[in-house]
Amino acid sequence: METLGFLMEGFAVALTPYNLMFALFGAFVGTLIGCLPGLGPANGVAILIPLAFTLGLPPETAMILLTAVYAGAMYGGRISSILLNIPGDEPAMMTCLDGYPMAQKGRAADALAVSAIASFAGGLIGTIGLIMLAPVLAKFALTFGPAEYFALFLLAFATLGGITGKNPMKTVVAATLGIMISTVGIDISTGTQRYTFGVLELYEGIDFILAIVGLFAISELLFFVEHRMGGGREKMTVGKLSLSLKELVTTIPTQLRGGVLGFISGVLPGAGASLGSFISYTLEKQVVGRRGKFGEGDIRGVVAPEAGNNGASSGALVPMLTLGVPGSGTTAVLLAMLISLNITPGPLMFTQNADIVWGVIAALLIGNVLLLVLNIPLVGFFVKLLSVPPMYLLPIVTMVAFVGIYSISHSTFDLYFMVAFGVAGYFLRKLEIPLVPIILGLLLGPEMEKNLGHAMVLSDGDWSILWASPLAMGLWIVAGLGLVLPYLIGPLLRRRMNAAMKESPVSD
Amino acid sequence: MTGFGDRILGLGLLVLAVAYGWAAQQWPEPFGGAESVGPETFPTILSVVLVAGSLYLMIKPDPDAQWPVGKSALELVISVMVLVIYALLLEPLGFIIATTLAVGTLSWRMGAAPKRAFLTGLISAVVVFVLFNYGLSLSLPLGVLEVN
Repeated sequence: METLGFLMEGFAVALTPYNLMFALFGAFVGTLIGCLPGLGPANGVAILIPLAFTLGLPPETAMILLTAVYAGAMYGGRISSILLNIPGDEPAMMTCLDGYPMAQKGRAADALAVSAIASFAGGLIGTIGLIMLAPVLAKFALTFGPAEYFALFLLAFATLGGITGKNPMKTVVAATLGIMISTVGIDISTGTQRYTFGVLELYEGIDFILAIVGLFAISELLFFVEHRMGGGREKMTVGKLSLSLKELVTTIPTQLRGGVLGFISGVLPGAGASLGSFISYTLEKQVVGRRGKFGEGDIRGVVAPEAGNNGASSGALVPMLTLGVPGSGTTAVLLAMLISLNITPGPLMFTQNADIVWGVIAALLIGNVLLLVLNIPLVGFFVKLLSVPPMYLLPIVTMVAFVGIYSISHSTFDLYFMVAFGVAGYFLRKLEIPLVPIILGLLLGPEMEKNLGHAMVLSDGDWSILWASPLAMGLWIVAGLGLVLPYLIGPLLRRRMNAAMKESPVSD
Repeated sequence: MTGFGDRILGLGLLVLAVAYGWAAQQWPEPFGGAESVGPETFPTILSVVLVAGSLYLMIKPDPDAQWPVGKSALELVISVMVLVIYALLLEPLGFIIATTLAVGTLSWRMGAAPKRAFLTGLISAVVVFVLFNYGLSLSLPLGVLEVN
């Protein structure tokens, strides 16, 4: 039981008072980020990166903080789904279907409590899966050569849009743009200046933290301005908890199914948390059959998607930690933090930075417990915050982003750059060019080029090495499928998801 | 005409891709002679991919998005200008004044009553300033408020 030993060491790291404090803080802030309108998990984690930096946190603490935020955001997403029928983030969409009807029937408190428990169960199952799967996958990944890595990066880009993605070609364009931005600066291997135009600030390349914060935070502000969604929402009353223990016990099988399904879809490239919660919900509907009242406030209809999306969020950490290839926007932002801490993500991390990896995993377990404890008593507080109108909130969030970026370098040049990225992000989002592949391109571009170079040196300039091994070939094929499948089965899946949304009588 | 947005984007990206690829061919050969993978290899591949992508966008564009016109467009321009001016004035005016103005203007333009908007700006500015300077000991510029 080598793994168990590592996990114990991880707990030793995560349970130090200093790290525990940051985990608690992260869990709290994460829930806030998840439930507030206009602050998705990726966005929230991105804004916190510069802060983690300027505080000079040690790497394991910084990662624990951000992982706790990540887990918290998944918890928080459900609050506005249930109370307002507005999903806080995309994976929480399915929670609206039965959560909101429950709230309308005066069982908001029950829905919130049971979804917190389901989130906990899903997160726990996902984390256990992560503990079992990650070391195995990391060992396997050690056999990867540069050619396999190159193919793996391609696969990551190709599947990033997800099977439900709209236009895979736009994902390709976005990823290429991101990689292009990453080539700006002095070439590491030869020292050639690339696309610097003699501007001193560009010699070191474009800082991806700037780009991430600009693309996410500033473009979000602009979207709110455009739609004039500044007004507040009506106040919601939560009511009293009337959930019985018996009712809770009956949902346990649902929690298990949801968590496992969510974890699997989190690990698989191209699936992600949204699909995880969707699959959990539809499967649950089929298992329960006519006995359930899905869409009218069935408690299992709240449990299944919540367990699913939290299982998926832990599952999504598997490829990020073991291969250095994130499968979602938020894990991409976590990867950005790792890279800027000078940690090379990938299989070697499990041996070279074991304390960080296992500290993070242990923090995820502790975070889940903290979140459960935090969420049940504090739910009233989070609900109150939900009624803070975005017209006050978003300017303040933007200001915090400015402060974060400014405090890294104390240079106003960076701020202009960030605003420019924000404006670009606004236009790209308008044109339905996804932003996450741009970020991933920025992060993985240098690694991709390095691996291409290594592969070429090994093969003495023979390009066929890139698909020579069966493993590399397999990765190329999956990458190709990732681009083609959305055309074939994407419309079908999307139609079903929409149909599921329309079936529920209350959604409008 | 539908798909206008994607066509213009495609055209812009095509120009970018060609310029990017062309620039890559202009770099001097690195010291020590050319290898199979030089600094220009990867950018060249990228520019080819982007050329293909941009052509696709122009040939098969998606339906157009709803672009803001009139007042919303003006509000957007104002917001971006506020952000640029905020960056410009952050150091000379100091964090507290610049932030009060920026956050205040933004929330006012987003629909808050002016008084409450600027009050929100002032409070958030002071809170963040105190938190950063004393709590986290990261210095933010005080600007004109500085007393020696």
